[in-house]
Amino acid sequence: MKRYHTKGNIIFDSIIYVVMILVLLLCLMPFIYMLAVSLSDPNAIINNKVSFFPIGLNFEAYKQIFTYPNFFKAYGNTIFYTVGGTLISLIMTSLFAYPLSKTVLAGQKVAMKMVVFSMFFSGGLIPNYLLISNLGLTGTRFAMLLPFAINQFNLIILINFFKSIPTEIEEAALIDGLGYFKILGKIVVPLSKPALATIGLYTAVFFWNDWFNGLIYLNTSQFPVMLFLRNIVNGTSMIGDAAGSADKATIAISIKSAVIITSTLPIIILYPFLQKYFVKGLTVGSVKG
Amino acid sequence: MKKLLSLVLMMTMVMSLLSACGQEETPEVNKATVSESSKSSETTETENQDPVKIRIYYSDNATLPFKDDWLTVTEAEKMFNVDFEFEVIPIADYATKVSLALNTGNNAPDVVLYQTTKGENASLALNGALVPISDYAEYTPNFNARVEEFGLQDVVDKLELADGKRYYMPSLFDIPFYDGGLILREDFLEAEGLEAPKTFDDLYVILKAYKAKNPDSYPLTILAGPRVLYRMTMPSYGISVGKNGASGTNTLSWDYEKQEYFPGAISEGYKEYISYLAKLYAEGLLDPEMAEPIDGDLWSQKMATGKAMATYAYYDQIGGLTGASTIDGFKLQMYPSLEGTAGAHHQPKSKTGSGIMFPAATAKRDDFERVVKTIDQVFFSEEGAKLWCLGVEGVTYTMEDGKIKYADELVNSAEGVYKSLQINYGCGSDVTQMVWINEREMTKYDENYARINGEVAAMGDVIQTIPPTPMFDDLTAEDAGVLQTPLFDTFEVWADAFITGKKSVETDWDAYVEEMKTLRIDEFCKIYNDNLGN
Repeated sequence: MKRYHTKGNIIFDSIIYVVMILVLLLCLMPFIYMLAVSLSDPNAIINNKVSFFPIGLNFEAYKQIFTYPNFFKAYGNTIFYTVGGTLISLIMTSLFAYPLSKTVLAGQKVAMKMVVFSMFFSGGLIPNYLLISNLGLTGTRFAMLLPFAINQFNLIILINFFKSIPTEIEEAALIDGLGYFKILGKIVVPLSKPALATIGLYTAVFFWNDWFNGLIYLNTSQFPVMLFLRNIVNGTSMIGDAAGSADKATIAISIKSAVIITSTLPIIILYPFLQKYFVKGLTVGSVKG
Repeated sequence: MKKLLSLVLMMTMVMSLLSACGQEETPEVNKATVSESSKSSETTETENQDPVKIRIYYSDNATLPFKDDWLTVTEAEKMFNVDFEFEVIPIADYATKVSLALNTGNNAPDVVLYQTTKGENASLALNGALVPISDYAEYTPNFNARVEEFGLQDVVDKLELADGKRYYMPSLFDIPFYDGGLILREDFLEAEGLEAPKTFDDLYVILKAYKAKNPDSYPLTILAGPRVLYRMTMPSYGISVGKNGASGTNTLSWDYEKQEYFPGAISEGYKEYISYLAKLYAEGLLDPEMAEPIDGDLWSQKMATGKAMATYAYYDQIGGLTGASTIDGFKLQMYPSLEGTAGAHHQPKSKTGSGIMFPAATAKRDDFERVVKTIDQVFFSEEGAKLWCLGVEGVTYTMEDGKIKYADELVNSAEGVYKSLQINYGCGSDVTQMVWINEREMTKYDENYARINGEVAAMGDVIQTIPPTPMFDDLTAEDAGVLQTPLFDTFEVWADAFITGKKSVETDWDAYVEEMKTLRIDEFCKIYNDNLGN
């Protein structure tokens, strides 16, 4: 057996480490810069003095965002949509994916084709809006949750994952007297944690970032926070072209940075906890075991 | 196969059911039933009526976030016996939400603020999605009176669509403001003993002097994009190809004497204009980044650090900059329009702005007449106009010898009267203020601003009217569109080449004109003149 620490290997590893650290810095630096800008004094920003450390610590940008009417309510809404939407989505997707993973089921192929068809062709904005409003969902929080309960892409990932679970386990359970619902709940779902965590994260990120559906279906008091933040970012950048209310233009960039930090931080905090499932779920989902 | 067939059949049934639901809701304005029902409501009108409930779309700007407890809002509800339900929609997505509500007719509010019938709204209006408010002139006495008072009948008539009806009540201005223009470092002029600029040649001398002292600088910069510079300066050369210029033609200009369009992009005026910019560029006096969108932050940086000393921007953008600069004695000032070969002019401005429209479903309300009358009162009556502009007498201001005196809290605020009124009380919001009287507005600004506006007003027709928009039918609009795009592209490419010296105005001008003529600029111009309508 060859020793691992040969000269060539050490050089190779060092190169990999250097490249990795560079890539890491490349990803981190914009974020650190934004954090610094969001915490700096406007004068320092205008005079181009800010690099990676805040100059003249200043929380004005955050203060301004937090004092926006209904900001915290909107944040609460977003958390509700993210948690509620993800739960509904996981339940609905699992319930749909399980039967579709059974090739013996009559009509499974047709249903699969319809899923794929609807993945590529959708009705478009106005038919969707008409559908949702005729179902009486507009102006209710369900408009945010129900239409997105099943995402075809996630569904296919989950179907593939379910297919990879050995049928012998289910057969044994059947013989032991379990029904299909119990098999799904007690055996298949616990075995599919990585896949569920993966699509759960996908879905959570989708609901966290989704502002457009909130805009078109909901009333002001139900808006998710992303819509507020989008308004702040776009509102401040539009100043340049419009008359009036421009004294804040000088700190537009610090507000924008603060918005980015405020809106991405929760998802970034969540990510490390799900990361291990994420990698596992994706690889297992795509390669049949 | 059978299963598939039945599935397809079932899907078709569900789809047709859904689309039938949609059709059912398609709004239709039936004037006869409307006026009948409104008559009956009029007879039962009593003094102790319940407040009229009005659902209203409001376009929200992040710099002036809407608050439903603003004094203006609560007071308007009390004054006019109305219960507003504001739907506050972010400005960036306002058009999308309005478009969806009007396109589908579902969940449309009773009233939409801050819209015009330009673009998509025009075809929506012609297809029956909006109430032709000009048909209900008897319900809008305050609006009519304002139009007459400001002498805007002609201007308002021009807002009619191809069917001869007007679908919104625009906001009205008696005299347009000179709210932005040439802004430069007054402290530099004083230090060098230079006079305030009156002509573009004076500006050249000032920029040159600054460049001599600060070789690293590009003295003249712009904000947002070159279009702002173009539209604020071109009129002094008798042309205007900016967005406020020739109704978005991009290459035509309006001849105010002959009252017709002419191909401004290949006129002598434009040749002189572009030569001037090319001269500035060649001598390093014009920001080479001007072709790119320069955002507020970058612009502030350039101005505050002395990388630039002159710009075209808006007056209220000066304040923040002056406070932020670390240069000793840094002082910006706005100057009246400079004189070019065609006199001193600023970008043309309209005396009407975005305003109020009523979705078709509103006309189906039993109390439609009351809704329109209330809206007319809230926004166009004298009490309403004062409320949205100044706030409540005794709280935000008092009248002394016929003069407006603002509360001490406003006068002494760091943000100034105008901004404080906006943020704390909701006054002066473009969305809700429909009546703009220049003299009244000027009381909110500092003396300097009022002085500049006075100077500009005294100079005569500095701010010209916006040229008329031709009334195209769909086919002509398409013809014009087909001609417009390549003309504009070519114009842009050449403008950039002329300014940056890649092409010489002296030697390549004829080739440029030839190319524009090959792209049929004359025919494009003729289409515009042939469809002016009156």
